[in-house]
This record gives sequence, structure tokens and C-alpha cells, in this order.
Amino acid sequence: MATVIKNLQVAAGSLSLPDKTIPFWGFANAFFGSPQTPGPLIEATVGDRLTIRLIHNNSFARIGEPISIIFPGQENVMVRKIPSGPLIPQPVQPQYAGGKMISLTNYLDENVDWLIEYSFTATKPGIYLYESGTNPEKQIQMGVYGVIVIRPSGYNTPDHPNYKTAYGAGTGSDYDVERILVIGEIDSIMHNDVEPGVYYDMLKFKPDYWVINGRSFPDTLAGDNNTSQPYGSKISCKVGQRVLLRVINAGFQNHTFYLGGFVGRVVAADSFPLMTPTLDATYEKTGVTLGSGQSFDIVFTPTTPGDFYLYDREYHHLVNNNQFPGGMMTKIEVTT
Amino acid sequence: MSLINLWVKDGYLSTPDGNSIYFWGFSKSENGPAQLPGPHMVVTQGETVTVNLYNTLSEPVSISFPGQTGVTVEGQPVQPQYSAGRLVSFVNHAEPGDMVSYTFTATHPGTFIYESGTNPHVQIPMGLYGGMVVRPADYDPNVKEYKTAYGTGTDTEFDREYLLIMGEIDPDLHQAVEEGRSYLISKYMPRYWTLNGRCAPDTMLMDNMDHLPHQPYSSMIMAQPGEKVLIRYIGAGIGNHSLHPHGNHTRIVGMDGRLLRNGNVDLSYKRFTVLVGPGQTYDQIYQWDGLGYTPENPIPITLPNLRNMGIGNVGWTMWSGSPYLGVKGDIPKGVTSFNEFGEYYFMLHSHKEPQITNWGEFPGGMMTMIAIYPSLSPDVGILT
Ligand SMILES: [Cu+2]
Repeated sequence: MATVIKNLQVAAGSLSLPDKTIPFWGFANAFFGSPQTPGPLIEATVGDRLTIRLIHNNSFARIGEPISIIFPGQENVMVRKIPSGPLIPQPVQPQYAGGKMISLTNYLDENVDWLIEYSFTATKPGIYLYESGTNPEKQIQMGVYGVIVIRPSGYNTPDHPNYKTAYGAGTGSDYDVERILVIGEIDSIMHNDVEPGVYYDMLKFKPDYWVINGRSFPDTLAGDNNTSQPYGSKISCKVGQRVLLRVINAGFQNHTFYLGGFVGRVVAADSFPLMTPTLDATYEKTGVTLGSGQSFDIVFTPTTPGDFYLYDREYHHLVNNNQFPGGMMTKIEVTT
Repeated sequence: MSLINLWVKDGYLSTPDGNSIYFWGFSKSENGPAQLPGPHMVVTQGETVTVNLYNTLSEPVSISFPGQTGVTVEGQPVQPQYSAGRLVSFVNHAEPGDMVSYTFTATHPGTFIYESGTNPHVQIPMGLYGGMVVRPADYDPNVKEYKTAYGTGTDTEFDREYLLIMGEIDPDLHQAVEEGRSYLISKYMPRYWTLNGRCAPDTMLMDNMDHLPHQPYSSMIMAQPGEKVLIRYIGAGIGNHSLHPHGNHTRIVGMDGRLLRNGNVDLSYKRFTVLVGPGQTYDQIYQWDGLGYTPENPIPITLPNLRNMGIGNVGWTMWSGSPYLGVKGDIPKGVTSFNEFGEYYFMLHSHKEPQITNWGEFPGGMMTMIAIYPSLSPDVGILT
């Protein structure tokens, strides 16, 4: 039972697509990081107390709006804010001004506040989004989202029954190789309008790029790096290894993620494990449809070496600027 | 072992509103017509299946077999194909004028899609998709407990079976391909929604109609009261289609060619509407045993809702004119009834109502009927 502290800022930055560069907003590791999408991966173990702060930003371009974080899937989230209060943690609440809701949760006004601090106890293992709760239709699409992974206790202790499992012993979530795939879409016109502050009519939302971990193919295949899109999504494994794919939809659209010809076993949906001591409700699929904010944990074991593409079966999302190949696609390399 | 030869070629689809649409499809023979969807592949679990693909188009074509693992070409696992470092196909392809031969063992019974793995945002909507049914190893259509979708003891017995493959057609894409013009997939806007390559009301015509040479498959579902009807859905387009039958719920017994059962735990479930996602398959059992009907008591206790008996005041109806199964009655003047023997008709359709139109005109699109006959030949509802 540790305390996990994460200090974040939100800032404007520059996002690299395979054929152009557009502005974006994202979370940054406070003080020493630059904005990125998805935001910094937050990892914790069941029982940990998470303290996640948004700190007012003096080093990068501010986005010029109040900012906040919501934590779908977490319960009893508490908040405090300095200096405008509440100074003693209290449950998060929607925020209103003039009788109108202006934020889904308590927010940071960078002109007034130094920091806002959210805290909660990690009670359930799984993969969760953390994302903007203020002007979310704009801020999430601009890139203000990230992932929290909560591990079962003992996940990193060899000989522990929960070792290398996503949800603990007896949940069918044992794995050798794990990959988090955050899927979504980008409307580059929106990004180009929003950052300079030009009015953008959300009813005109029409994405033209589709991403995994913030990148469009073939950039998805590059390794992790220090760019504004730090997380690669290529998967490497050996024949016979159990691959755990943790697919989570941070976008607004449904996407059907095809597993590259493998038949995967869905072991958890929205981080609820499907196998319990009394019922095994896991099932096999060649691809899964994810609505906004939903996640699936899928395990499969490649039996032959080779390269296999994993992609959005909505094949019009496999393009960059209307050209195949591109978009929401990555690869698994299986070696002997 | 099964050997299946497919030729990729072009042709013209017919829509009920009189349109003729250029398309690409698979053909069963060198001189036969391209068809939408491609020929049904019906094989048996454990069988080695070889699919020879002959490409007569002017660009590479391939077939991917979602749900079949261990697909090989020339003894090697299928692999992505590149040209000058750029991905062309997800799996081995046939160059124009060439052929490629895929081999795999059908390890699991169920319903599967097969589809192009090359330039997929063009080739799949142009028509390069089809359905594959794998029979369980112990399948025996002549023995009730062995006429199943997933094997004896899996609670998937059926009396008749039907395969419905969903698709969408954006005529602009097809015309651009026909004329060799570029097409922006971002403008993709379907105007027709298809079941087995046809739009309603053509969906209700029989197989192999002379005037639909490229669309050989009917989507008409026919059964007797109480029979177990296995309905296999495949989503071949890019849309999510919420399909529902009137008359009863369906019980979903398998998805993506995998039985919904873990050991003794039955994971099958009932739905009124099934959301068929792109590339996904659903196997379901439908039974019409409603209204207190039994062969011993052919008069329903509750009369059917007349709204379920036809499709509105368009000048024609499927209603018999009588609420009693197997009886024909008076039809309002000026209305044509297509009812034959006093059978009941229930719609099966996409619940996204714009999709039950042909270019905006109702009725049409992704819609068909389930007909419950007082008696029906055992030759109806057989998939080959
Ligand atoms: Cu209906």
C-alpha cells in the first residue's frame, strides 16, 4: 500500500502526423516534461493511494481554459485546491456558474489557482482512462487524455499467484507480453482551429486521422520515444507467448479492432474480469467493437512466426489523407 | 479436403430502383459471373481447405480469412506484402493475371467472413467479400442431434439455416472505380444497404433469379412453427447494423465462429436486436412458436398484431387477409397480397431506419422477411 503521486500540467504542443503537423493539447509531466498524447502512463497497484495533481503551468503554452481531470471507473475521488479551496479534501463535484454546468468535476483556473489535487484508492485492477472533465468535447479531442494501469498485488513478484496477470490468479489474464493500445481519432481542421482560438463548431466534427497511442500508421510502428506521442504500438513476441492486448477507446467514435487474424480471448470488459471463481464468462473474438470510453483486455497466443497487422476493421480508417495504408493500424512481429 | 476456385472479376449489380452498379466480385468459375457476396464456402471441421484465387483485375488481390489461424501459401504462413517498402496487402496476394493458393485447416465450426486483404477500403466495399460456414466434425443433417451449428451436445441443433451477409454500397465509389477516377474515401456515403448483395424487396426473391445474375442469394427466411432456425449474420461493411426480427427474440450461440460456451457453462444469450459489427459474425437460433400455436391447435389463442403482418399501405402486402395461419381471407380493394398459403410474415431488418431505404426511398435496403408456413418442404433452408 503505497502512495503514488503524479504531478501533471496541461499545455499546448505540436503533434506529428505522417504527412503533416498540427497543434494539440496534452498532459505533461509537471516541471520537466512536455505535453504529450496520450498523457503520461500512470501505474499503481491495488490498495495504493493515488494523488494526481494538476499544477498551473508557467513553462509551456497554456491552453487558455480551465482544466480538470475525470477518472472513469474510479470511485470516491476526492479533491482539494490551493489556494481557492476546498483546502481539505472533499468528494469531487460538477461545477456550475450562473446556473450552468461548466465542468464535470472541480477544475483548475490557472489565473487563480496553483494546483488542484485529486486522490482516490486503487480498488480494482484494470486499465482506465483519465481525461479532461472541462469542455471535454474539445479538450479530449485535442488530446487531453491518458491511461492509468492498476495492477493486482504481487503482479511483479515471481512465485506470487498474481505474477504477470492483469487481474490476478484465476482470471485467465496471465501474460508474457503486454501492450496498451489507446485508440481514437483526430479532426485536423478542428485542431488547427481550436489552438489559435478560432471558433470550431463541434457539429462539424469529421475526423481525418485515426490513431493508436496518438500516432497514425506507419508512425505506430516506431518505438517509444521522447516526442509528443511517446508510445509506440508495435508488438513483438515469440511463438507460444501469451500476448495481452489492452485496448481502450479514448475517441468519440466506435471502432472495431481486428486482431490480425488471431482469435483472442476477451478476459475483461471495462476492467471487469469475465472469469470469477464461480463463472467463466470469457469468450473468443476475431475483433472487438469498442464504444467511446470502453476497454477490452484480450489474450492470444501466436502459434506461427511472421508479421500480422492489427487494425480497425472499419477500413476507411486505414488511410492517411485518403491513402491506404495509414490510420489505425499496427503490427505484431512473432519470432521463433 | 476441399478445393475452392475463385475468380476475381467485375460485373454489374442491380438495385430495385433500377440502378446498375459496377462492382468487383468473386466467381465460382472462369466463365461464370462475378457475384455478391462471393460464393458460400461450406466445409467441415478438420478438413484441409485450399482456396485458389485467380485475379483478372488490374491490381493485386488477396483474401484474408479472419478466424482461420495457420493459413499458408506455398507451405509458409501468409505474410504481409510490400511494394517499395509500402504495405500493399495484409496477406499474400495474386498480381493481375496471376493466382495465389491459400491452404488452412478449418479447426473450428461456425460462421466466418472471407474478404480482400488488399487495398481494403476500396476492394471490400467494391464487393470482394463472402461467407464461410464450417460444419462441426460430427455434423449429420439426417440425425437430429447431429444437425447442429457447433457439434452435438452444444445446444445448437437446428431444422433450417440461413446466412445473411450485410453490406453497404456507395454508388460514387463504384462509379469512380469503373471510370478509373480517384475517389476520396472520406466522402464515403452509402446509398444502398444490402443483405446478401441485394436490397429489399429483391432480398425476398428466391436464389438464382434470372434477372439478378450477379446476386444469386436470397435472404428470405422460411420455417414452420416451432422449428429451430439457425440464422447466421456476417457484417461485411463498415457500419454497425442493428438487425432484429419481428415475431421472437434470437438466442445468440456463437460469435466470430466461436461457440459461446466454456465447458459446461452456457454463455448463449437472447436478444431482440443484434448489433452486427464490421467483420463480425453471429450465430443465432430463432423459433416462432408464439401465439399459442401448435399443430394440434392451429388457431392461435391470441391473434397476431396486424402491424406485424405486412409492411404498410404501399399498395401491396404480405398479409393473407386472415389472422389464422394457413387461411386466406379478403384483402382490401386495390391492395395486392403476395401471400401464398396463409403463412405469417415477420420483418427482419436493420433498426437504423435510413438503411431500410433504397437511396432514401422506403421500403428497401437491409430488410427481409421471415415466413412461417403451416407446412414447408424439408428442402427449404439448406445451405450449400
Ligand atoms: Cu422492427
